[in-house]
Amino acid sequence: MSSTSTPRVSFASLTPNNLGTVRKLNSVLFPIKYSEKFYADVLLPEAEDFCKLVYYNDVPVGTICCRWETVNGETRLYLMTMGVLAPYRSRGVGSKALQHVLGAAMSHAKPKISAIYLHVQISNEAAKKFYERHGFREVAVHKDYYKKIVPHDAWVLEKRLDGVEASA
Amino acid sequence: MPPLGMPAKRALPPKESSLFKELLNLYETRQLKKGLKTADQILKKFPEHGETLCMRGLILTHMGKREEGLELVKKGVRLDLTSHICWHVFGLIQKGEKNYEEALKSYTQALKFDKENLNILRDAAHLQTQLRIFDGLVETRHTLLKLRPALRQNWIGLVVAYHLNGNLKEARTVLENYEATLKNVPDYDVEHSETLLYHVRLLEELGEYEEAISFLDSNAKSRAIIDRIAIMEFRARILSKMYSEDAEHTWQALIEQNPDCYDYYRGFLSNRGVDLDAVTDDTRSKALECLREFSTQLPRANAPRRLALNVALGDEFKELAEPYLLSALRKGIPSLFADIKALYSDVGKRQIIEEIVEAERQRSEHPPDASSTEPSTYLWTLYFLAQHYSSLSQHARALSLLDTALMHTPTLPELYMFKARVLKRSGDPFNAARAMDEARLLDLQDRFLNTKCGKYRLRAGLVEEASEIFALFTKKDAASPGADLEDMQSLLFLTEEADAHLRNGNLGLALKRYLAIQKVFSDFEDDQFDFHGYSLRKFTINPYLGLIQWEDRLRSHRTYVHSAIIASQILVRLHDDPSLATASTATANLTDAEKKAKKKAKKAAQKVQEESKKAAGSTANEDKGLEPGPAKDDDPDGIKLLQAPEPLERAAKMLQPLRTLAADNIDAWIAIYDVSIRRKKYVQAVKALAAARALQPGHPELHVRLIHCKSTVSSLPEPLAAPAGPVVIATITKLVPDEQSLELFNSQYLQQHSGNARATLAASKASRQLQASLEEVENTLFTALNPDVELDIKTAVDVLALLKEIQSSRAEEFRAACDAKFELATIFRPANELPALRRIALEADLTSVDAEKQEVLS
Repeated sequence: MSSTSTPRVSFASLTPNNLGTVRKLNSVLFPIKYSEKFYADVLLPEAEDFCKLVYYNDVPVGTICCRWETVNGETRLYLMTMGVLAPYRSRGVGSKALQHVLGAAMSHAKPKISAIYLHVQISNEAAKKFYERHGFREVAVHKDYYKKIVPHDAWVLEKRLDGVEASA
Repeated sequence: MPPLGMPAKRALPPKESSLFKELLNLYETRQLKKGLKTADQILKKFPEHGETLCMRGLILTHMGKREEGLELVKKGVRLDLTSHICWHVFGLIQKGEKNYEEALKSYTQALKFDKENLNILRDAAHLQTQLRIFDGLVETRHTLLKLRPALRQNWIGLVVAYHLNGNLKEARTVLENYEATLKNVPDYDVEHSETLLYHVRLLEELGEYEEAISFLDSNAKSRAIIDRIAIMEFRARILSKMYSEDAEHTWQALIEQNPDCYDYYRGFLSNRGVDLDAVTDDTRSKALECLREFSTQLPRANAPRRLALNVALGDEFKELAEPYLLSALRKGIPSLFADIKALYSDVGKRQIIEEIVEAERQRSEHPPDASSTEPSTYLWTLYFLAQHYSSLSQHARALSLLDTALMHTPTLPELYMFKARVLKRSGDPFNAARAMDEARLLDLQDRFLNTKCGKYRLRAGLVEEASEIFALFTKKDAASPGADLEDMQSLLFLTEEADAHLRNGNLGLALKRYLAIQKVFSDFEDDQFDFHGYSLRKFTINPYLGLIQWEDRLRSHRTYVHSAIIASQILVRLHDDPSLATASTATANLTDAEKKAKKKAKKAAQKVQEESKKAAGSTANEDKGLEPGPAKDDDPDGIKLLQAPEPLERAAKMLQPLRTLAADNIDAWIAIYDVSIRRKKYVQAVKALAAARALQPGHPELHVRLIHCKSTVSSLPEPLAAPAGPVVIATITKLVPDEQSLELFNSQYLQQHSGNARATLAASKASRQLQASLEEVENTLFTALNPDVELDIKTAVDVLALLKEIQSSRAEEFRAACDAKFELATIFRPANELPALRRIALEADLTSVDAEKQEVLS
């Protein structure tokens, strides 16, 4: 019966009520402490399509959180966090989560989202490969992006959504 | 001249007479203010007119002036004792106060002077039903039917009256006569359908199965009975009773309709000679064969698979249990353990289950390749095993499994909840409360988690802090979260808070909450009143009869039983030591938080009071104005309850229903003894002990009472007089042999139950009653710590409490020994650690999970 059925990956919007689960996930997923501003931003109504809890067979196992950045009339999405609990990796959960957000970004009309970008610590080859598989390109190295954790530098990875090729 | 037969003082001149008629009209249409004016007009000239006085009183009661109104009504009745109006009004008011017995008396008076008043007759019938006066009910219904035979519900009223009075034959006759009068019943008439279904049930109860079936079949065919499921259920049940071959087919159809209804399988199998609740070696294979067949036929049904686990044994059990368990673990069914737990009464099955799930843990912990098992399966397997080991009291093992699971997936509330439960079971209510709060913080909109968290705080003695949690889901404008929950009749809340107050030594509030529970049950009882009329109007006779039966057994509910037993124990303590009533008022003992909360509650209560006053003024025109509004809480701490006179009489009253409704509960009989012996009702007391002994001869608390009873009776200054005396003596002699001293009786009991800590505690209590030295009692109590004695946490707590009560200097020594013995427990920690423990319980916080991380990003 269900032993052969495919696992269910589903998403839920963030609310003040399930924010505790996000905090819990962030605390085990990342070596970074997120400020209260982070938790306030992910609850903004315009962030709803781009900030999700990720469920695997109805168990919360990951999060993906983006914020808007509008500079000179160009709107980009900045991918702040994205992570899946270790036992649930290599099962396509992260890809589905990223695809979900990319889909939402591409179909967003007002305003048009031109690109999505993020930082990856330069020690994290696996993460870089993951994003490259999804069409991200390295566009810069951000020196001393991290203050305390080593290495301090981070790659900036970007995926254009407007067809314009990134200039490295 | 007054009309013939009317007493002179009632007669009014034409003008006033028509004013009075207008007054009645105004009342009927609830034009209360105009009514009042009209009444005053009459009274100006005829201040002694009883009927007008009564009407004025009735109107005032509706307008919220209860006391003034009642005074007037009483005066009116006195002035005109033969007026049906006066008595009717008096009855209405008594009915509004839910004083049904007095109300019925007034109605009976009213009927004396107006035998054919339909309103009064109908109300009287409702009162008679409420009071279960069925002879009288039959009579009243008869009268009503004679007066208005065209009204359908009058027929049904009489049928039901006969039924309730146990006269099924007469009920049938009337019902058949009624059906004969019906003409042109519309198609698909629900009320008629319900009546016919009742007719089938009546025939079934009369044992007329053949007739019941043919009546059912013909009315089903003609579509007069339209409830398809009911037709099938009635049919299957009655055919089974007839041992008819057709029954099987009907049960089969029902199972196909709803393949997860256990009762249908029970019916199907009982028709094949298998009692599913008492399978024997002869019926086992037959039962399994059927259930296997259903499992194949109905691949999505859980019931036949689960039922098969009850029936199967040994290898066959293993073969069936394995796919059942593994499929549930893969699906991630959180309630799997709760579903399976009942099988643990069979140790063999328990071991097989353990093997199956342990093997699954091995497999899923190190899967040969990533795609072969789901990580969530491993998670649910760990969760199941934690529950499994905790149920076998292996709490440390359970906790370590939960820790592994929490490392694996820290976001599943179930894990924290069960961790809380294990900690609670191991005597650490503080960390338990904290773990439950951690679960709650993961999902703040989950009311279940919220409730559990509040409950666990109560278990840790944190009453006010629990209230803060409850407040998140209660009405914001309620006097307090507790008041709202009481309003909603939350028995869970009331019980837990009462128990918490009791553990904290706050007898007043504990008693107050236990009485609030009892009030809920009185309300349940009162609530049926409206159905005496409503159900007959709607012709829902079968459910109505079920309601009446349910109400008759209402107080067998375990929450009522618990509240009655514990409240009676408090009242007995108050009787034994009246100083408790003043000692426990200790406002001084309150923590700051509690004081603050009290102030807040007081303010809020005042506000509610004011608002309800306002509301009372504005709703005075509504139909139901005769019930007293919410009473002002003038005893917020329950102190008046503690100081109220005659605690034993109150206790006896609340225990009364338990004699019949909890007759298999030994604690109930012991509570009844404790109250009866103090009320000097010796026959009742010894009979309670005899009943308790019939249930469980060696029960520790019974042993204490046996000794108490015998020494009490033998030390009476004068022997008990006949007829009670000889009965008491004869019964005691049967319970406690005469030729033995009580001391010997006690030490023999102790010997017989060595190894049982409860028995040790009981023997110590008994020897204390027998004036043994403090040292002797202490020594006996300390044997509870011997390695060959099985001491559980609850008993250890009670032993410690007794040591403190007898002011033993060794209480501290016992506490320290328990602290060492129960490693996980915190309740035996020294008193000075308590504040720190309470803090631990409250400081769950997810905003600081990252506190130690240095890298900060916004």
